Amino acid sequence: MKSLGFMFAVLVLFLLPLTASGQDSTTLTVLVEQGGLWLQEAAAKQFEEETGHTVEFVNVPYGSVFDRLSAEMATGGAAFDVATIDVVWMSHFAPFAEPLDDLFTDEVTDDLFASLVADAQIDGTFIGMPTWANTEIIFYRKDLWEDPDEQAAFEAEFGYPLTPPATWQEFTDMAMFFTRDNDGDGEIDMYGTDVKGGVADFEWMIAVLQAGSPGVVLDADHNIIIDNAEHVAGLEYYISHHCDMDVAPPNVNEIDWGVAENLFYQSQTAMFRFWGHAYRLTRGDSPIADLVGAAPMIAGPGGVGAIPGPWFNIVPKTSENKELALELVQYLYDNNAMGIEAPLGLAARKSAYASYADVEGYENLNPLLETLDSPQTIGRPAVADWQQIADEILGPIGSDALTCEQDPAELLAWGRQELEAMGYE
Amino acid sequence: MKSSLAERAILYALVAIILMVFVFPYGFLVSTSIKPPVDALAIPPTLLPQRISFDNYTIIGDFPVVQRSFGNSTIIALLSTVISIGLAIPAAYAIARFATWAGKLFLIAALVTRLIPPVSVGIPLFAIMRSLGLIDTHLGVALAHSTISVPLAIWLLASFMESIPRALEEAARVDGCSRFGALFRIIIPVAAGGIAVTAIFVFLASWNEFLFSLLLSSTGVKTAPIAIAEFKSQYGIQWGTMTSLSVLYSFPVIIFSLLMQKRILAGMTMGAVKG
Repeated sequence: MKSLGFMFAVLVLFLLPLTASGQDSTTLTVLVEQGGLWLQEAAAKQFEEETGHTVEFVNVPYGSVFDRLSAEMATGGAAFDVATIDVVWMSHFAPFAEPLDDLFTDEVTDDLFASLVADAQIDGTFIGMPTWANTEIIFYRKDLWEDPDEQAAFEAEFGYPLTPPATWQEFTDMAMFFTRDNDGDGEIDMYGTDVKGGVADFEWMIAVLQAGSPGVVLDADHNIIIDNAEHVAGLEYYISHHCDMDVAPPNVNEIDWGVAENLFYQSQTAMFRFWGHAYRLTRGDSPIADLVGAAPMIAGPGGVGAIPGPWFNIVPKTSENKELALELVQYLYDNNAMGIEAPLGLAARKSAYASYADVEGYENLNPLLETLDSPQTIGRPAVADWQQIADEILGPIGSDALTCEQDPAELLAWGRQELEAMGYE
Repeated sequence: MKSSLAERAILYALVAIILMVFVFPYGFLVSTSIKPPVDALAIPPTLLPQRISFDNYTIIGDFPVVQRSFGNSTIIALLSTVISIGLAIPAAYAIARFATWAGKLFLIAALVTRLIPPVSVGIPLFAIMRSLGLIDTHLGVALAHSTISVPLAIWLLASFMESIPRALEEAARVDGCSRFGALFRIIIPVAAGGIAVTAIFVFLASWNEFLFSLLLSSTGVKTAPIAIAEFKSQYGIQWGTMTSLSVLYSFPVIIFSLLMQKRILAGMTMGAVKG
């Protein structure tokens, strides 16, 4: 009997630490797509080491983040403690997301770009903590721009020095200058730039902001502004490189971001507007691998402007580990700079970008900082039916305008009618 | 003789055209998988690789999740095949042998379920599996795949079983076999070709399924189609890796189909003529 009691005591002593560690250690499940995994993996690992908790990433394809989280929302599921979502889904998931107002101190908002602070809120409540922000900047061929012969020829033709384009006019001039038939066979071998008709639901709105519009499609109060003068000017500028100047490959409807990227990296375009992360992902086997330069996005009459593409960490209300999930979100924000060393090389905090801006290999960060920090870099309206607006109104407007046979102002007037039919005023 | 040659030439030409339609996309897939990444999306595209590179294959070693996903797909597809065939054989047998109006109605109802878009039942299925604790389990995903496959399997097997002469079964019954005995000892062996064909279709349906696998798996039982789709991110598509994985993922099915070719053909013609 005595020996049984002794054995029981030994067993309890042996099992106690295991039980205790089981109670203290929690597994947090984080829903991400590939980018979210890359950019947050290192910080999450550090969080695990420091706290003893486990962070498990559930990595799904881009569009499936929406599907998985929608299924959780519809069924009240608690599979995820944190989800990293695209800005365009914020309104949709707002009822499902825990308020994060306590995390947004003055210090935090001061270190975030204004557009991100605006995008992080739905109806005045912070529901998402920015985890990275990307936007389109200018990529150009340094071997062309820094060539003394090219510089002399350009200045002789246009009357000002050849530097990376900073304005609409400079961008257009340089696109014309570098559109060339190098071998004289009547075929153009290199275009100055591209026009991405394959993403017409997004691309022309960047020019709208550069034209000085207070927002795209809807203003801050969700009133219709799609037919204001800046939208007309932006759309006209967007199509001009295809319709008026032939400085872009003519098959505009086939050119989406992937194709545009390939055209540039196969030296078939001299410069292009593209997401800032691409600089860090330049392929080693590209003929221009070491020749890529980056500059801030161009300015129209309203200044430098772009549409940010931020992603946010939200904590689903159904999470069973809410406190710890909030702790993780705060930790990922605090260690935001760690994401810059990941393949995409992106972050959300100004200080994170600034800390790497002068490091060799990160020459894209200053242009990104300048573009993201510009007052005319404004996010898309936070309305739940944004995707419908993009698919059914903005895409057709862009595509129809690129036929070069329709008047931009008339197309935008049609856009107003469609928005009114959706209930906007 | 001349007209026979001409007919043959036309026939071969038609076969070549049809073959081209089916083989070209796969050939282009294989070709893209052995192009260096920068050539994968060359503009204009090239049919054959200018340079051959196996980087898209060697890089797969860096993704243990992808490797595991192939194993998960195999387990789930096999499990789904066993469940679907196990449920469909008795159902098809009853429909074929008893030929009642209820059986016919059931057959039509089973077909109607095929007309419902899977996306519309995704969330209810997710809720059911969650309440059963089957999220992120092989069994959960296999059961979900079986909901797609069972109706098809019943239809195919009912047609195969109708073609088996009743006299065979009746002889077994006269010799003292029970109905179940006759089913297992006579009907199933005779319908083996048809069952094999049905099993292949069921296996393929599960092997390629995307939506239910996505909704019902997390990290534990992620299937290969999901893992392959992850190479399409917000910032672009890694065509090289996606194509190499797709080629590898298609190999087992192609090899299996080639090995089973005779049985498949025998099975496909089996239900064509009623006994």
